[in-house]
Amino acid sequence: MNSIIIDGLSFALPLFIIAIGGIYSERSGITNLALEGLLGFGAFTGGLTAAIIYEYSSIGGTASMYIALIAALFGGMVYAMLHALLCIRFKANQVISGVVINILATALTAFLTNQINASLFGRASNRFVLEVSPRFSIPLISEIPFIGAFFTSIYPFEIIILIVAAIMWYVLEKTPYGLRLRAAGDNPQAVDAAGANVSAIRFSAVMVSGALSGLGGMCFAYSISSNVSPSIFSGYGYLSIAAFIFGNWKIGPTFWACILFGFARSAGYSLVNVLALPSAYSDLVLTLPYIITVILLIFVSRANRAPKSLGEVYDKGKR
Amino acid sequence: MADDIVVLDHITKRFPRIVANDDISLSIKKGEIYALLGENGAGKSTLMSVLFGLYEPDEGRIIIRGKEVQIHSPREASALNIGMVHQHFKLVSDQSVTENIILGIEPTVKRLGILSRLDMKGARERIRKLSSDYGLDVDPDAKIEDLPVSARQRVEILKMLYRDAEILIFDEPTAVLTPQEIDSLLHVIKALRDGGKTIILITHKLDEIKKVADRCAILCRGKLVGIYDVNSISTQEMASLMVGYEYTDEVNKKNYSGGDTILQVENVTLYNQDKVKVVDDVSFCVHKGEIVSIAGVAGNGQVEVADVVAGMLIPSAGRIVYKGMDITGKSIRERTEEGIAYIPEDRQDVGLLLDCDLAVNLALKSYYHEPYCSRGILKPVEFRKNGEMLIDQYDIRSSEGCSTIVRSMSGGNQQKAIIAREISLDADLYIFVQPTRGLDVGAIKNIQERILALSEEGKAVLLISLELEEIMNLSDTVIVMYNGRIQTVRKRSEVTANEIGYYMMGAKHEA
Repeated sequence: MNSIIIDGLSFALPLFIIAIGGIYSERSGITNLALEGLLGFGAFTGGLTAAIIYEYSSIGGTASMYIALIAALFGGMVYAMLHALLCIRFKANQVISGVVINILATALTAFLTNQINASLFGRASNRFVLEVSPRFSIPLISEIPFIGAFFTSIYPFEIIILIVAAIMWYVLEKTPYGLRLRAAGDNPQAVDAAGANVSAIRFSAVMVSGALSGLGGMCFAYSISSNVSPSIFSGYGYLSIAAFIFGNWKIGPTFWACILFGFARSAGYSLVNVLALPSAYSDLVLTLPYIITVILLIFVSRANRAPKSLGEVYDKGKR
Repeated sequence: MADDIVVLDHITKRFPRIVANDDISLSIKKGEIYALLGENGAGKSTLMSVLFGLYEPDEGRIIIRGKEVQIHSPREASALNIGMVHQHFKLVSDQSVTENIILGIEPTVKRLGILSRLDMKGARERIRKLSSDYGLDVDPDAKIEDLPVSARQRVEILKMLYRDAEILIFDEPTAVLTPQEIDSLLHVIKALRDGGKTIILITHKLDEIKKVADRCAILCRGKLVGIYDVNSISTQEMASLMVGYEYTDEVNKKNYSGGDTILQVENVTLYNQDKVKVVDDVSFCVHKGEIVSIAGVAGNGQVEVADVVAGMLIPSAGRIVYKGMDITGKSIRERTEEGIAYIPEDRQDVGLLLDCDLAVNLALKSYYHEPYCSRGILKPVEFRKNGEMLIDQYDIRSSEGCSTIVRSMSGGNQQKAIIAREISLDADLYIFVQPTRGLDVGAIKNIQERILALSEEGKAVLLISLELEEIMNLSDTVIVMYNGRIQTVRKRSEVTANEIGYYMMGAKHEA
């Protein structure tokens, strides 16, 4: 039981922070299918940073992890500017741009990882190995049955994610910038008439989505595999898109959607363990979040309302 | 001249192929209601867009409060305390009234001395005060999408007031309102003037000008025809100056002599998405050569009746019989092919493909058969031929003929295009839903004459209109609907406009 909660949270939270990135981008009016590519590229940047630190400096494991997380954040942000540039400056189709960004990220990171490993570190490998992230439990509270599991074996990044998520919620709901961002996704003409710069708002929102995706991607790298390899591209970006759509493009409900996905996944693994099923079944379990997605889609699609101008190129002259 | 707050001095604005404003000079006094009168396309909106910084004039000067200014953007106009309520509202539908009003000039407060956040409370207070000062009656916490059009318009007015606008421009504010709402808007406009604001009212409705305006400038085809004190000029004179020729209000109408039944609506009942009964047991007939109109205040089920007949909505109960045949379950295309033509209420959403060209739009109901399509391949040449013919016949004005993108055309010409398309179908039953809404006097007259001509050719016409005058001018039979029910069915010749008005308000009821 405890492992369901522990593993569920460590999967759900990175998913959540990526979904918040998606919410920023889409509430501003830019369709963002590029989350998958953004998280992968962010993780690549973080992984490369961690590898360089390991190879060339004496900075220890935990400190290098924080540096790697920050590097992933910037990597995702910079890479997201490509999506922003295509969609806003060049008015490209946002769906196509997103897909291209994803494909490019897969190819580019695989190529660069191999090349850098060969030339910089002198080994043939398609991955950057990370040090294992420490975990901690909160004394006393973690002793409480059931509830204690939420405070046991926590990755430090889970705390970071919760803090960042709270800040992102505050910015979106309580600040002038957030108000304009939300308005830009509904009626950009109104934002323009109010004297604010729609393109700048949208550009920054896409950059935020890149930064948060990069951060989330790096967290996945630390928690799931302890390395950055092509397996980082296994659909978590798409899953977070599903999460924020179920969450109706709102941060609160999206949190619960992510928790649901996380727990469904970890519960499935536990089930495989408890029933002592062959390992092939654990692959089946991996599909669980996606199956839930399909089923949920049937129920929530009707009530859901996407931002009104989502995916539309903003053209000042159009009435 | 000292109290002139806005002076437009020899303004000329040219667009490709057209001079929208030709050497126009106006001066507007502080604290007056100044009306700009003209047909669609006369250049009123362009002139105000110049003042509001949306366009820059090719020639001429703008003088505000005695100082010559260059206005390059709405933002700069706003800084000069100029505000504008556009025809198409610029509101964010999923946000509250307050959020919409503060957008762009958000007030903030510091929380705990560091965290800066929106000052929703202060903004709400200020909006509440402004709202009660001018009798606007807007709830600052309501969501825009839950508000009716008239309240959204009041939000736009509040938006200007919140920005301390002193010169308020209204671009055809009454086009989207019902008669009662128009009255209350005119009250608000007067209250604003009495509060010291200067108001510029763009309109083509003469009676409104008579009711509220102090002075009016009449534009015709980009030129200034004259500036008049409203008290010293009659509506008749204004109308003929604005149209550019002598205008008569009366429509020549022959008396209806009776004919075969074309359409029978039998006990139709319709529930909407929220399970509310919007049409309640409605039955009536339309005969050959007859114009049957349904009168009523907006939202009493008239439009739904038309949609049911056209096939856009499926009735919850009842039958639609057309030429003796039950068509209740037939698709829209089948109905079209049987000879039902439909001019919808919302010409932009339902009637046209705004981003396609005129030739395509004019063939929308026949593109799939000969001569437009042969063996599954479209024939652009036929589209053009048909387009050019209709443009010529129906006097549809557009900048590039058949290749004009419909979005760029004026409302009146968009409507003409729909009517041309539908009439060219040579149907037997024509359904017109608010065919003249938002159009200028010339276009209204043109369309009304077309409707009369149809009935003279022996076509059956079902007309839904909010304009009582139009109903009285055109119909043979008047049906009044209230709350989804038929209040009364009367011969036009046996009823007065006042009586119809009573029925519309639900005051009289016939068992």
